[in-house]
Amino acid sequence: MPISPSTADRAAPSRRTADAILTVGNIDMRFETPDGTLVAVDDVSFTVAPGEFLSVIGPSGCGKSTLFNVIGGLLGGYQGRVTVAGETITGPHASIGMVFQEESTFPWRTVTDNVAFPLELIGMPKQKRIERARHFIRLVGLDGFENRYPGELSGGMRQRVSLARTLASEPKILLMDEPFAALDEQTRLLLGDKVLQIQQDLKQTTLLITHNITEAVQMSDRILVMTYRPGKVKRIVDIDLPRPRTSEIVGSEAFGRYVAQIWADLREEASRGMQDDESRALHPGGARP
Amino acid sequence: MAETVRVKPAAHSALRLSPVTLLRVAIVLTLLACWELLAASGWLYRDVVPSLLAIGGAVYELLSHGEYYFNLGVTAGEIGVALLIGGTGGLLVGLALGANRFLSKAFESYLYYLGPTPKIIFFPIMIMWFGVGPGSKVAMGTISCFFPIVLSVAAGMRQIDKVLIRVGKSFRAGTWQMVMKIYLPAMRHPIINGVRLGLGVALIGTLLAETKLSNKGIGFLIIQAYSLFDMPRMYAMLIVLFVLSIGANALVGRLGGLDSIKRF
Amino acid sequence: MNTLAIARIHRAAPLIGLLVVVVFIVLIEFLIRIGIVNRFIVPPPSEIIGSFKRVIVEEDIIHRFFVTATECLTAGVMLTVFGVAGGVLLHRFKLLQQATETWIAAMASAPTVLMYPLFLVIFGRSAWTMIMMGFVAALPPVILKTLEGLSSTRRVLIDVGRSFNLTPTQQFWKILFPAAMPTIFVGIRLGLIFALINIVGVEFLINFGGLGALINDLAERYDLAGTYASICFVILVSVLFFMGLEKVERWLRPFE
Repeated sequence: MPISPSTADRAAPSRRTADAILTVGNIDMRFETPDGTLVAVDDVSFTVAPGEFLSVIGPSGCGKSTLFNVIGGLLGGYQGRVTVAGETITGPHASIGMVFQEESTFPWRTVTDNVAFPLELIGMPKQKRIERARHFIRLVGLDGFENRYPGELSGGMRQRVSLARTLASEPKILLMDEPFAALDEQTRLLLGDKVLQIQQDLKQTTLLITHNITEAVQMSDRILVMTYRPGKVKRIVDIDLPRPRTSEIVGSEAFGRYVAQIWADLREEASRGMQDDESRALHPGGARP
Repeated sequence: MAETVRVKPAAHSALRLSPVTLLRVAIVLTLLACWELLAASGWLYRDVVPSLLAIGGAVYELLSHGEYYFNLGVTAGEIGVALLIGGTGGLLVGLALGANRFLSKAFESYLYYLGPTPKIIFFPIMIMWFGVGPGSKVAMGTISCFFPIVLSVAAGMRQIDKVLIRVGKSFRAGTWQMVMKIYLPAMRHPIINGVRLGLGVALIGTLLAETKLSNKGIGFLIIQAYSLFDMPRMYAMLIVLFVLSIGANALVGRLGGLDSIKRF
Repeated sequence: MNTLAIARIHRAAPLIGLLVVVVFIVLIEFLIRIGIVNRFIVPPPSEIIGSFKRVIVEEDIIHRFFVTATECLTAGVMLTVFGVAGGVLLHRFKLLQQATETWIAAMASAPTVLMYPLFLVIFGRSAWTMIMMGFVAALPPVILKTLEGLSSTRRVLIDVGRSFNLTPTQQFWKILFPAAMPTIFVGIRLGLIFALINIVGVEFLINFGGLGALINDLAERYDLAGTYASICFVILVSVLFFMGLEKVERWLRPFE
């Protein structure tokens, strides 16, 4: 199937742009390395509508994490514009809540104190923030673990603490970078259910960065497929699966078709990435052909 | 019936000592017995190995006189001031080195390689600079504890999980909030560990300086006992000193929650 | 983004650091020359450098260096033999480990070197006072590191050994010991450094033997420049010793 910028634009009708809560406009990100200029993100544009679940999928090294940090306001020095509800971001924005791929709970705080962290920063009184924290702990299904330390929890539970902590700041947009990457497949599916359920209950606008096709199809309204170096938008795919969804949808025929379609797009990119890795392992420090 | 069967062995093991405790008691008793035999045998020249009774008497003698507490106070004061100066300096320099890669590349290797050099050899210089009184002892303690504290604070700052800093920034924490709620708690263990190491070497630096040249302090008492050849008193002082310093070390660790480090 | 420019500045950092140190020394020299710093407290750096030759020729510093080095080496051999053996013993007999590990850790944090007057009584004014002091003060870390290396051998490596039906002796020499080797060497390195610190310290304190005693000698003769020069020499020797040990350690574990 031929790829052209127009196919990428196809799935972003103007209606969405009009009332979009998040607009990512022509983002370009280059890094100077001793081997030359690396184009991590190349002219990426898309929008997210309120309440929508959008996933960005791509092989490792396609600039997904760079995009995550740019939208989160943690990385500067790019060209283009990111706007949240019409406001151009210049740094971390109060309307965007980030969930990181790495283990990011504070090991010295209990579950409650971890979740209450963003509330503490804005100076909410102790009693009130503990109440709020408890609410979000229940939401992610960790009631009973309020006074435990992260070290006493499993990886999946710790990631739920991170999620609850971000939700507690009540962001307009939930921005997640491969939050389940370090978990096993079953935990990942069940946790996906939890996220889906919360997202549907709260009508939470969500932007998920991932390399996992199943996860993306299971949860998203739309999936943006990125190319390997330079990271461009290859295609945006609408996922017309019924809601509310759970992980049971993974068995359905329609689900399989979407997975196959996206894999067809990704396969080429991923194998390019693999060849690249191999040539770099063979010629470390050398210029790429 | 089933219950009594379950309870019985439990009651037994509560009364019985664990093998570890038994072994410990056995080791201690064996060592003490060997010591006492050696003391009674007279194989070593007089008083090098005094009898346990003599040492016990000396400990009692030592602790029941105000003189010891006065000298203990002098030494503790010197170590305290040394820790305060060396610790504050070490913390500030360590934070600067940990935060700034350029500073660390320019200067940290000097501190790193000066760290494990013998510090007591600076004592003649410290006497010239700060006199023969407590000043030079404080200086010895200070330069001793400065190095381990700088190095562990700098390393601790660099070892902070970068994602935690990104979390703080993503929630738009201010500089003060970042320091108080993320940097310092995340560095608590390396800081406490640095203070613990610093306390150990400050103690050694100060006391050795006292044994070399002073007229008060625990180090002075030890060298005085040596020159009077009062071996039981010297043993007594070493025993009390070891107990105090091991206790102080454990206390710093406990205060910093180092024993709960495994939970993380 | 001028990341390359930043990288270039960072590459120059060690040079700039050295430059700052040199400028500082020159500044001290200047302050002494114009009389702001008393030259009878801090001798001018030029004078210290000048007295190096005198210290080497007249005070026979090379001989003293070998005296100290011999003491360190002897203590080091004893540390390696007894420390590693102690660690292996504790690893072999778990009960013994449970009973004594906290004691050894406590000894590692105790100011052992304060026992030097006692050692002086037992061993007299001889090299053995220094050697034994260095040995005793540095023994606990060697034992603890050996034990740590042996007990933190990855479970799967031990299982690999068992799957090949290794005898306990083979298991130790083919799996445990090589796996623990890097950590054991860290222990020996720490031990040698502690031994050096304590040996030079005791030499200085009892004014007997090698480099430490030389510093004491010169200080007692109010030979300021000589004292500073010999202190610089000792620092230089211990830094080189420390660097050398690090080199050996890296050479011992090329696979990491």
